[in-house]
Amino acid sequence: MSSMEAGTPGGRTTRRELVVTFTRELIAAYAEASGDRNPIHLDEEAARAAGLPGVIAHGMLQMGLLARVAGDPARLRRLSCRFAEVVRPGDTVTFRGEEADGRVELTAVNQEGRPVVTRARAELAPPPDPAGG
Amino acid sequence: MGVAGRVYEPVTFLVEAGHVAAFARALGVDPGQGVPPTYAAVYALGTTVPQLFSDPEAAVDVAHLLHAEQEFSWERHPRLGETLVAQGRVAGDVERRGVRLLTFETEVRAGDERLCTSRALFVVRAPGR
Repeated sequence: MSSMEAGTPGGRTTRRELVVTFTRELIAAYAEASGDRNPIHLDEEAARAAGLPGVIAHGMLQMGLLARVAGDPARLRRLSCRFAEVVRPGDTVTFRGEEADGRVELTAVNQEGRPVVTRARAELAPPPDPAGG
Repeated sequence: MGVAGRVYEPVTFLVEAGHVAAFARALGVDPGQGVPPTYAAVYALGTTVPQLFSDPEAAVDVAHLLHAEQEFSWERHPRLGETLVAQGRVAGDVERRGVRLLTFETEVRAGDERLCTSRALFVVRAPGR
């Protein structure tokens, strides 16, 4: 995984990017950690029987990575997306977030340029008052 | 039609530090940053979705199911060691052109406080499609 963060000079828009190449190991580790061991994520045969091209990543794994480019996790108040395209081992997905005034537009695009999520956005609570008031 | 309106029994869940850390690592996040927001996949979905999937009257064909949309909203994120109560409800169950669309909502509370609301859309294709 690689990531970067950049702000515009005015400081009003912040862009974040994360590039992840999905592997069987990453998907299996997420299955273990999340408790979602649906065989379509782990077993090629089961995935094909379900009409898929092979094992696919969990939508919630994609969303967890999307949250990483949404901004300060403690301030995250809303996160939503539509899972538009399956993500398979070997796919490289670029997750991007563009934050302005607490609203974040999110995208995730695979190596073929196709969006794997659509209608993805987040909302952040205002930052804590530095004066502590 | 279907099982729209069905409400399941509340499920209690303990936010355990070691489990949260393992989840954070699976996403490549520093476990020291607290509970990752999408740990809601565990405390909101992992708690209540199995009730829907194992409900014989709901008869969800899990083998042909895909998670199509997900939305979370939070009042705040849970703290380590906190006990949460999650309750799931079938908000919608309709069929369109042979595809079943199940909308499942989960509300998560800590005591009297509302923490998180999840809204998941599951799509179940008929076998052979």
